[in-house]
Amino acid sequence: MTEINDATHDQIEIVDLNVEMQRSYLNYAMSVIVSRALPDVRDGLKPVHRRVIYAMYDGGYRPDRAFNKSARVVGEVMGQYHPHGDSAIYDTLVRLTQAWSLRYPLAQGQGNFGSPGNDSAAASRYTEVRMAQLAMEMVRDIDQDTVDFTPNYDGKNLEPTFCQVASRTFW
Amino acid sequence: MTYDGSAIQVLEGLDAVRKRPGMYIGSTGERGLHHLVYEVVDNSVDEALAGHCTHIDVTILQDGGVRVVDNGRGIPVDIVPSEGKPAVEVVLTVLHAGGKFGGGGYAVSGGLHGVGVSVVNALSKNVDVEVRREGFIHTQSYKYGVPVAPLKKGGKTDVTGTTVTFWADGDIFETTVYDFETLSRRFQEMAFLNRGLTLSLTDERISAGPIIDEETGEPKIDGPRSVTYMYEGGITDFVRHLNARKTPIHNDVVEFFLEDEKRGLSLEVAMQWNASYTESVYSFANTINTIEGGTHEEGFRTALTSLVNKFAREWSILKEKDTNLSGEDVREGLTAIISIKLHEPQFEGQTKTKLGNTEAKAFVQKVVNEELAAWFEKNPAQGKDIARKSLQAATARLAARKARDLARNRKGLLGSSSLPGKLKDCSSNEPSECEVFIVEGDSAGGSAGQGRDPRTQAILPIRGKILNVEKTRIDRVLANTEVQAIISAFGTGIQDEFDINKLRYHKLVLMADADVDGQHIRTLLLTFLFRYMRPLVDGGFVYVAQPPLYKVKWSRETPGYAYSDKQRDQIVEAGLAAGKKLRTEDIQRYKGLGEMNAEELWETTMDPATRVLLQVSVDDAAQADQLFSTLMGEDVESRRNFIQRNAHDVRFLDI
Repeated sequence: MTEINDATHDQIEIVDLNVEMQRSYLNYAMSVIVSRALPDVRDGLKPVHRRVIYAMYDGGYRPDRAFNKSARVVGEVMGQYHPHGDSAIYDTLVRLTQAWSLRYPLAQGQGNFGSPGNDSAAASRYTEVRMAQLAMEMVRDIDQDTVDFTPNYDGKNLEPTFCQVASRTFW
Repeated sequence: MTYDGSAIQVLEGLDAVRKRPGMYIGSTGERGLHHLVYEVVDNSVDEALAGHCTHIDVTILQDGGVRVVDNGRGIPVDIVPSEGKPAVEVVLTVLHAGGKFGGGGYAVSGGLHGVGVSVVNALSKNVDVEVRREGFIHTQSYKYGVPVAPLKKGGKTDVTGTTVTFWADGDIFETTVYDFETLSRRFQEMAFLNRGLTLSLTDERISAGPIIDEETGEPKIDGPRSVTYMYEGGITDFVRHLNARKTPIHNDVVEFFLEDEKRGLSLEVAMQWNASYTESVYSFANTINTIEGGTHEEGFRTALTSLVNKFAREWSILKEKDTNLSGEDVREGLTAIISIKLHEPQFEGQTKTKLGNTEAKAFVQKVVNEELAAWFEKNPAQGKDIARKSLQAATARLAARKARDLARNRKGLLGSSSLPGKLKDCSSNEPSECEVFIVEGDSAGGSAGQGRDPRTQAILPIRGKILNVEKTRIDRVLANTEVQAIISAFGTGIQDEFDINKLRYHKLVLMADADVDGQHIRTLLLTFLFRYMRPLVDGGFVYVAQPPLYKVKWSRETPGYAYSDKQRDQIVEAGLAAGKKLRTEDIQRYKGLGEMNAEELWETTMDPATRVLLQVSVDDAAQADQLFSTLMGEDVESRRNFIQRNAHDVRFLDI
């Protein structure tokens, strides 16, 4: 129902609290379930992991090159593939380097990446990263049409829907 | 044109209804449409209340009509002396006609003004009525409220009842598509309130192809489906149903029923405490949901508070030096249904949902006092659990008050005298024209702050996701700085200090980002408002802003804004057809309000002249209560079921 408020010319539509709650909650919950919280069975990666790995590969932060500032990688991931907060991306990146979090780390870190206790990593402007050799296996020949690509959030770019599995040891 | 006597119109009878449908059924939207069904069904329920009807079958027909069949006594068919027409025709064509204004037809009735079924007739293109009474079937048809032919006496029958079939007038209603869920929820509630009454709803709409959902373009799952509700336990089953997703703190549902035939009053109460922190007391008078409460609720509360206090003292759960438990302590975690039936209900309040009969208060108070005291006497163990729960609530309340007083003394946070630092207030002091936009984060707060009309629009940025109050105890809720900012910005105070007259803005607009996290924040805020500042939601002060999802950046033309995927495609198509130029990357998907320039935000979302606001209304409080427990509460199992059941309704996924 649309009513026009005479005083302000507002267009007011009535929405039932139940309907609004149900709709908003389901959208959020399903999005989190489908595209945030659960790893894909094909490669064991959540979207944010896959984006970090692919962005590092695409940006040339490879194991045979020099280390680069983590903030650069975070910026690349955020700008190109993952339109969310920078801390979530950096936390993911940090975890990928930690040998006590991953059996075989997918990124190499230079600097303070925390300790198995409560120490957290240094801020992204201090630390440096590049891909681990193992991560290269996940994106090997990815430009040879081996996996499907999908447009990124703003349609300016493509990102892989999953990565190849060279190793099943990620989790 | 001259303005004289000839210009004055007297709208007679049903014409008045067709001219001003809103006056009779509230609106001509979806709510009004469903109201038609309720009016007809209410009449059948009145037969059930009088003890003459056990089955009501409602069918949504293929062609959009609705048929309501009951096995009551049937509307009388003999001639009404004053009108010279059969009673059934009078009932269907004359406003304020009915058997409920005294005079023996009904002792108790939910129909208030007798406008009921004649309004339905006036707003329908066709109505067919069939009355089975006195051994014969009588039929009559109407078009736009006018009888096509006189009442016809047909074949013989040995049953009684009334069948009303109506087709709502599509020229008056914005939509004539009934929502199965809405109707079934309402009928379930009616079945709870009328113990033993069988209510069924069948949906016969089978479309030629699948029905396409307007919003998503996805086909909706549709087809014949049917539900039947019948509860032997009546409101006791209702309480169990409401508590199904909560953890009860005692086993039995307290229930009692008492009738005072001499004064024409009867009362039925069912109640059970659960481990949650919220009160879910719903009262009904003649099966009408009295959302605003009234005298029966007052009586119930007074009796309940004094009884629990007395019991707690007797069993030394409250020590001598302890202060009494307050009413709110006692009602924390209480789920209760109070259903009173009385001869001449007087309804007051803005929406006529507040019971005004003074005799109801004394009656309810007396009955609850006697019956509940007896129950406590018989069930001391469960009684002690209840008293302990109340005591916990009192402890938390005192802790919260201490925390509040401390906060007030230290920073003046919760006092109305000072406002939170991040609030960008408006200059006007007249609450009725003021609005506050609650936005997500300082990024959005900046855009909104620069784009607003500083005279009437205030901005309150909230950092990140506020805590889920459904899972948090009040003292921790009040310690949260974001919650404190909201409370002091609104100016109303909270809980026992809540005063709606101090509300500083009459529009509280939730303006979250147009992504799924924004929607999550919206659900969290709505939970807070519903649980802690309920009168704001009930009073229609809460709104949801509608920021655009897409910006279509035409080269060298003014950009277009789209609020849905479908609208984006329409804009693009129309623009291209008109010869405008567009590169694919020039369609911007907004991820946050901070992405917009201040002017963009003003133009699309905040300017009263162009914006669309959604006003949040509570159609069914009991249902809302349950939904909040399911979605935001502790019970993971029921939430998972809910998501699985409804996953196919999801409108957009944010990947």
